Order: sequence, then C-alpha cells, then structure tokens
Amino acid sequence: MTDAQEISHEERHRALVERLAANLKPVRPLWRVRARLGLWLLLQVAVLGWVASHTPNDFMRKLESARYLLEVVLFAGTAILAAVIALRSAIPGRPVRIGELGGILVLLLAGSGLVMTQPVRTAYPLSEFVSVGLGCAMWTCLLAAAPWFALWWAVKRGAPMRAWAAGLAVGAAAALFSFAWMRIRCPNDERLHLLIWHLLPVLLIAALSALAGTLWLRFRPRATGPG
Amino acid sequence: MPDETNKVDGPARMERSQLRMRLMRRMQDGDRDACRVLLDDIGPSVTRFLRTRIADPNALEDVYQEVFMALYEARHTYEPGRPFEPWLFAIARNVAADHARRHFARAKWEQLTAEPPELSHCDPPSAPPDLADALEQLPPAQREAFSLLKLDGMSLEVAAARTGISVGALKVRAHRAYRALKKILGGND
Repeated sequence: MTDAQEISHEERHRALVERLAANLKPVRPLWRVRARLGLWLLLQVAVLGWVASHTPNDFMRKLESARYLLEVVLFAGTAILAAVIALRSAIPGRPVRIGELGGILVLLLAGSGLVMTQPVRTAYPLSEFVSVGLGCAMWTCLLAAAPWFALWWAVKRGAPMRAWAAGLAVGAAAALFSFAWMRIRCPNDERLHLLIWHLLPVLLIAALSALAGTLWLRFRPRATGPG
Repeated sequence: MPDETNKVDGPARMERSQLRMRLMRRMQDGDRDACRVLLDDIGPSVTRFLRTRIADPNALEDVYQEVFMALYEARHTYEPGRPFEPWLFAIARNVAADHARRHFARAKWEQLTAEPPELSHCDPPSAPPDLADALEQLPPAQREAFSLLKLDGMSLEVAAARTGISVGALKVRAHRAYRALKKILGGND
C-alpha cells in the first residue's frame, strides 16, 4: 500500500474498531460440541423410546441376532459421527478430520453391506411392495424431522464456513439415525424394501439438506455492522 | 503496516497467542478495552494474510473490514481455551474466498457483456502472464500454500498451522501449485 493508502487504512481501521467496541455486548459462547451432541442424543433416545413402544416388530427377538444388532449399531454410529461433524462445522477453525470422514465411509459401507446380505423375496406383489414401502419412506422422513430441525438450529447458531457440507452432515446424521430406528420399527427385512424405501430416503434427505445448507446455512456477516 | 508476526520466536509467539486468547474471552464478556486491544493487535496479521490472496488494494481494504465484521459477529463461536489463530484465520479465509467468488463472477459477467463478439476471435496476447496473474489462476488452496511458503518465507510447520492443515497436505498443495505455475508461466521441466 502507498503512504496515502496507509493513512487511510489506519483511519478506517480506527473508525471500525471504535464502532465495534462501542456496540460491543456480552455474548454467551457456544456450548462445547460434546455437550450439544449429548443433548441431541437425548432427543434421539426419546425418538427411540417412542419407536420401541409403537412398533409391531418383534425387535427384541431380532436383537438376539448379532447381524441385526450390528446393523442398527453401525448406522447409529455413523449418524453420531455425522452429528459431530455437523456441530463442529459451525465453529471456524475446526476442520473435518480425514479419520472422521474415513470412519463414516467405513461404517456406512459396512452397514450397507449388511443390508445387502438380507434375503430378496421374489414372490412379492408390486402393489404391496409400493404401498408398504411408501409408508416406510414416510416414517423414515418423519423420524428424521425433529432431530434434523434440532441439529440444524444448533449448527445455524454457529458460523458454518462450508454451508453445503454442514447441511449434508446435518441431513446425514438425522436420516441415518432414522434408518437405524426404522430397522427397529419395520418388521420387513427384505433387501429391496430396505434399499429402496429405507436407504434411498436417507440419501434424499441428506442431499436435500446439503442443498438447503447451501441456501440458508452459510454464515454471512451483516454488511452494515452493529448499531 | 509493519507485521512482526513471523519474526517473533516460538515462546514470544506462544505468549502472544495466549494473550489473544485471554483478550478474546474478555471480548466475549463485553470488555470494550479488550476488544480494542485485540482488534489492533490482529490488524497487521489480517492484512498480511489477505495480501497473499487479494492484489487490489481497494478490494483488500473492503475485505479487511469484512473480516473484522465477521469476527465480531462470530465471536460467540470462539471456544475459550482453544487457540485463537486457527479460528481467526478460518474466518478470514472464508471472507476472502467469498470475495474471490464475487470477484470472479463479476469479472466473468463483465467480460461476457463488454467484449464485442468479433474480439473473441482475436489472438490471445503472446506475452506470458506475470506472477500475480498466474497466482490468480491457481485454486485458492494452492495459491495460499505457495504464497505462505515462497512469498512470505514461512516454514512448513508455521504455514501448516496458519492454514489449519497437516505439513504433508501443505507440501502436496505447494507441489501442485509449483507445477501449475510452471505450466501457466511456460517454464520447462
């Protein structure tokens, strides 16, 4: 910068600092990621409690199967990792670690792999497949709704720098938990049913959430400033 | 604007970082004096950081102000006890990236609307672009790696801490930047 610009810069800097300082108000720092995650998990426990008490599925018997239990745990674990990433994405300077992304990928692939090992029913009327499936897809979205709003609000309170990634993580966390709870709620263990009516809505929710994040999550300071 | 950030030794830098953390905590509590001291202290660092990304002095001034506004409005997201600089430079990087996006979108639009159709058939200028132009063509991450290491002369460790990535990742970015610059500037292998 030239001398003239240097003086001008100093003057502007001083004016800006004085304006910001004059309007300064105390703020409460965001709670730690761990604390906010804990609260969100309490909400998930409430959802799980409701699902467990309102299901025709004999999931207690199914939980004796290690594969079924592992499937639920894997998807819930992936959801928790996604929620951690979502909450951390709202704090500047807290980048996503490669290990976390790798962990999500491994858990997701392992969970999906278990779904792929489920039997395929051949004698399955299309009308029944669709009518039952639409209900499951709707429930997947409904079970994801409240946790999605809660996590979105928690992230929005921060300052997400990569809005699409924050939106994606929010959507993935809510939808993957919903998938896990739907495995408890839905008595149907057929592979195509799970892939199309359970897993596809998860992908759709995550994609829509990423889009919504791009539009509404991005941290933008007000141009006019305080006061 | 003098900037002694990179000239201070390790313990002094650590002490300064601790001071900034305390000032930021007091700023969150509404302490106006701490706010003034902190913003005055980080001014040169922010300027230096932005200079590696923005060539136009007027634009630099605007972005500088935007960074301070963003820092002010995001002050509740600073986690007390955590290092201050990664938080600050993540915000500055975000504001600068926003500016770059707006700048390129505007430049593209102006080029589209201002250039007469017949001009598009003209031969491109034969003179090679200078370094500033070449740097502008690099992706922001590569430009940052190159600028910190080669223009600012930072060590790998300091530059990695500044960008918030590992030393290995920084090396990869810098290597890609060298290759891209060589290609843009027409250098031989």
